Amino acid sequence: MPNIVVLVKQVPDTYSERKLSDGDKTLDRDSADAVLDEINERAVEEALLIKEASEGEVTVLSVGPDRATEAIRKALSMGADKAIHVSDAALHGADVIQTAKVLAAAIGKVDGVDLVIAGNESTDGVAGAVPAILAELLGYPQLTHARKVTVEGSAIKVERETSDGITHLEANLPAVVSVGEKINEPRYPSFKGIMAAKKKPVETLTVADLGLSADEVGLASAWTQVLEASPKPPRQAGQKVADEGDGGVKVAEYLVSQKLI
Amino acid sequence: MSFVESEERIALRKAVADLGRKYGHEYYLKRAKANEHTDELWAEAGKLGYLGVNVPEEFGGGGGGIGDLAAVCEELAAAGCGLLQMVVSPAICATIIARFGTDEQKRRWLPGFADGTLRMAFAITEPDAGSNSHKLTTTAKRDGDGWILNGRKVFISCVDESQSVLVVGRTEDAKTGKLKPALFVVPTDAEGFTAHRIDMEMVSADWQFSLFLDDVRLPADALVGSEDAALAQLFAGLNPERIMATAYAVGTGRFALSKAVEYANTRTVWKAPIGSHQAVAHPLADAHVQLELAKLMGQKAAALYDAGDDMAAGESANMAKYAAGEAVVKAVDQAVHTHGGNGLTSEYGLGSLLAASRLTRIAPVSREMILNFIAQFSLGLPKSY
Ligand SMILES: Cc1cc2nc3c(=O)[nH]c(=O)nc-3n(C[C@H](O)[C@H](O)[C@H](O)COP(=O)(O)OP(=O)(O)OC[C@H]3O[C@@H](n4cnc5c(N)ncnc54)[C@H](O)[C@@H]3O)c2cc1C
Repeated sequence: MPNIVVLVKQVPDTYSERKLSDGDKTLDRDSADAVLDEINERAVEEALLIKEASEGEVTVLSVGPDRATEAIRKALSMGADKAIHVSDAALHGADVIQTAKVLAAAIGKVDGVDLVIAGNESTDGVAGAVPAILAELLGYPQLTHARKVTVEGSAIKVERETSDGITHLEANLPAVVSVGEKINEPRYPSFKGIMAAKKKPVETLTVADLGLSADEVGLASAWTQVLEASPKPPRQAGQKVADEGDGGVKVAEYLVSQKLI
Repeated sequence: MSFVESEERIALRKAVADLGRKYGHEYYLKRAKANEHTDELWAEAGKLGYLGVNVPEEFGGGGGGIGDLAAVCEELAAAGCGLLQMVVSPAICATIIARFGTDEQKRRWLPGFADGTLRMAFAITEPDAGSNSHKLTTTAKRDGDGWILNGRKVFISCVDESQSVLVVGRTEDAKTGKLKPALFVVPTDAEGFTAHRIDMEMVSADWQFSLFLDDVRLPADALVGSEDAALAQLFAGLNPERIMATAYAVGTGRFALSKAVEYANTRTVWKAPIGSHQAVAHPLADAHVQLELAKLMGQKAAALYDAGDDMAAGESANMAKYAAGEAVVKAVDQAVHTHGGNGLTSEYGLGSLLAASRLTRIAPVSREMILNFIAQFSLGLPKSY
């Protein structure tokens, strides 16, 4: 009966145009629709699959501004049991190390955690470092980039897939797992799940509630900071080839000129 | 008064829109053109409880209202893969059975509506009784405990996809000998029941049928509720039908409009995208206004209906259906036009909506019959027919 904590993050929808704010170059959250990061939906799905196979409880944990409740509700409507939401203005501009510290402190509030599941990287920050840092802080083994997870009693097995190939990992619980795109297909929330989500407990905590001080977190004390950013260049108009009987040849010439063939 | 939907309704819309995106218009057209249905979509939506949101919880449904069901219908249509039978099976049939069925009928049928495994068509229209339902001739005679049903129906949607059809017939009043309406659940495999597909020119994954009922023998409990409640049953079922027709039309209109906007923002013939020409932009803005107005009236009708005010819901539901029928025709027309020649290509798929978008003007009641109703009951003008 594993007690699982799933880390979820609200990110700007990848379908909308994402921007950094002019002032401190942090994410401009108002410029885009906010959604539950898709990789986190997969993390939630994996937690639910493990829970459905052997019972247990799934707690969703999110560090983010007030509106992150929408992402939390989505995870609850998929079937997670309860949530912890760390929301504090002091967290504005927090880097991956600070975020991992806050997560570790919040996980400390959950009794008897067996497994922490995260996405391998978010679609906004794309650092891909939080799961590993978190595992260090908690002193748990880390099994990252999972494409398959099996829990058997107090042991966990993971197929790890990276560009280097596939590695088979095994560890004892408690552990931190991060999942990749191939892990599963997340479910759609059912209508009953949506109706039930509102009644599930969401505990809201501040940085102080976690025993951390405001100057340990946030932009001012962050180890990384964005100094400059430029928008990605607009896509250039493509080259048009008029087919005057020699279209095929011209396309081939173009591909050769680009060293593609 | 609130003009904002509940958090749950908004979450439901998002979830359904996500499911709709997985299937989409291309899937729908492929199926329709291959002479096939969209069963997987129906089954998946059913399993998620989206088709039974309005069925009472004690029978496995979502315990929500017709407003929730309309939201599901609209979002699927807005994704380009509307489920036509939502207008009928969960909206008319499940509502009538939930409100008027015997306990045994509720236990037998409602769980199937709750998860979409039961699909029921609805048959009122007859060859000689379209807009004029007083001329219905399908008649049930007593046969011992049960009934024998005879008659013809036409334009009945989704009969081949359904286990049964809720048939509006008439019975003879024992005392006066006068005919009065009565509703029967007729299994599609009953002896004496035949269905012939009608060739239609609209591109649709759901089909229409002519029904022949020749001495169809039915058990006593095929009659829904009591023999005297049929008129109340019809009123109870037809408001949801109009609310759902509104949602289907608004969703279809939204789909066409979003395609048009995308195209107008990217297609450049002169210096700037064609959307910068007001002759292109204004009709699209107008279509958006009309769709939003129809949607709002549909939401009003649903809110009144869910609050139990059938009478007030009736007027709003009729107005909403009228407005939605006009709005979707204009939205599709303008979307096709915005695409120029591409509006009629198979690649863009909009031409396929031209005939289908006219459905809401005609069915379940034509716009003229709605205007007749409004003229007579809302304005107090003389009856014209
Ligand atoms: C795709 C499709 C699916 C359908 N699905 C179903 C279904 O599942 N179940 C079902 O029972 N029916 C179904 N119908 C039937 C539909 O409800 C009828 O077509 C509709 O009620 C109109 O009836 P009618 O076709 O007989 O037209 P008619 O009644 O013959 O009307 C023809 C025209 O005359 C006008 N007219 C009639 N009387 C008046 C008047 N008094 N004043 C002014 N104008 C008038 C009408 O507005 C219309 O324009 C479906 C129809 C279609 C096209």
